[in-house]
Amino acid sequence: MIMSPRNTIQHPSSSWMSPKVKEFFNEAGEIAQFAGRFFREVMLPPYEIKEAIRQSYRIGYLSLPLVGITAFIIGLVLTLQSRPTLVEFGAEAWLPSMVGISIIREIGPVIIALICAGKIGSSIGAELGSMKVTEQIDAMEVGGTNPFKYIVVTRIVSTTLMIPILIFIGDAIALYGGFLAVKINTSVSATLFFHQVFNSLTFSDAIPAIIKSYFFGFAIGLIGCYKGYNSKKGTEGVGRSANSAVVIASLLVFIIDLMAVQITQFLGFL
Amino acid sequence: MSSEYGEPIIEITHLEKSFGDNQVLTDFNLTIRRGENVVVLGKSGCGKSVLIKCIVGLLNYQGGSIKVFGKEIAELNQHALDELRARIGFVFQSSALYDSMTVRENLEFSLRRHGKHKTKEEVKMLVEEMLTNVGLLHAIDLMPSELSGGMRKRIGLARSLVLKPEIVLYDEPTTGLDPITAKEISNLMLLMQQKYNTSSIIISHDMHCAQLTANRLTVMIDGINYAQGTFNELSSMTDPKVHAFFETI
Repeated sequence: MIMSPRNTIQHPSSSWMSPKVKEFFNEAGEIAQFAGRFFREVMLPPYEIKEAIRQSYRIGYLSLPLVGITAFIIGLVLTLQSRPTLVEFGAEAWLPSMVGISIIREIGPVIIALICAGKIGSSIGAELGSMKVTEQIDAMEVGGTNPFKYIVVTRIVSTTLMIPILIFIGDAIALYGGFLAVKINTSVSATLFFHQVFNSLTFSDAIPAIIKSYFFGFAIGLIGCYKGYNSKKGTEGVGRSANSAVVIASLLVFIIDLMAVQITQFLGFL
Repeated sequence: MSSEYGEPIIEITHLEKSFGDNQVLTDFNLTIRRGENVVVLGKSGCGKSVLIKCIVGLLNYQGGSIKVFGKEIAELNQHALDELRARIGFVFQSSALYDSMTVRENLEFSLRRHGKHKTKEEVKMLVEEMLTNVGLLHAIDLMPSELSGGMRKRIGLARSLVLKPEIVLYDEPTTGLDPITAKEISNLMLLMQQKYNTSSIIISHDMHCAQLTANRLTVMIDGINYAQGTFNELSSMTDPKVHAFFETI
């Protein structure tokens, strides 16, 4: 085969960049393009409201038991493990405040987002991957339905809206778990416990946590959909999509959390 | 040959398609006239499925031209392409039924965009008519996972016909089926061709299906249409590459 001059000229960057690094930047670029397409498509009619509601039910309501149990255990264990140290310093009275601040600010949103990255991210990645390899996405396109709008936009909208709600409910359950842990050792009333929790919380604790929850939801939906929608290589590819959706979404949760801390610090919330 | 049929509705000239360095279609030419049913034969991986995916705009092509109803596919915007696709049915090799939907919802889904002017009652009747055609009205509320391979193919066929298309593209409709079910599907395709007066391109390795459904066959080798003619013309050819396809009969 005669190579054209275009094929023989190497881009200067290709000589020093390792293939893995190039692949990383390529994928980052593709994810950014995918996100850009989401923002374009979400604005334009037709709006797939029925499908978005169906996905919200699946993503939100059906994840509640897992989120609830996990949050309850986190609240309970956090309180049980913190108590002895605080007792040692004679600061047991600070227990409700400490539990409240740590759950609302950090532990609740991050742990629940990670649980959602595992449950929802993998489920979206596998479902879309399977739809891709069984030609269901092509069938939709041939049938005149925009598959990106019907499949991707609805799922990203649902995760963006539902994960903050799951985090809100999870935080409440975790606080209740914390109360039960305190109740085991002392005779503190629920009114006193929650009074102390909310007295120690300010808007500057809650607002950044709420805002980052929306970013967590968006990131989990975006990565799950991107990985599934671009799935390749048959059933092996479906497994890979689900797996990498969880890994990348979990990593993004930590990166977003890190950025949120820096931004809130910069804005004087911390 | 062409005088029996109407005007050309699909015109493919000098089509080129490659995936990276792998040139799949090099200089493919084919014309389908209204009412004509053409079977494309070829070895696995020679680009038959790629050809029909290019026709409906699922894949882009690098060179040549595909005109469907006189419109160049590569030049159509999304809206025009969607309008054109409403006139084309596509039966996927894997049936591609939406597995989160019932059979009824699978058929209704195709009517979401192009059947907006239809009332609920009309949609219901149309879905039931298509399922009756393929003998599966009783499966209307089943999920795809509850269907056998043959049933899935029939539902795939019913779904592709729900918009009453003028052209149907079949991607290996009998692959993976036992000979009896494969013959039933071939007969059903023939029946639907006659009932709805559709033209079709059928990608197949199944020579019995080809014999039954095709007015004309074309043999794809090395990305070109190597030979074409009626079943009898091709089966009597001495060219070893063409003859190889007919040895199994």
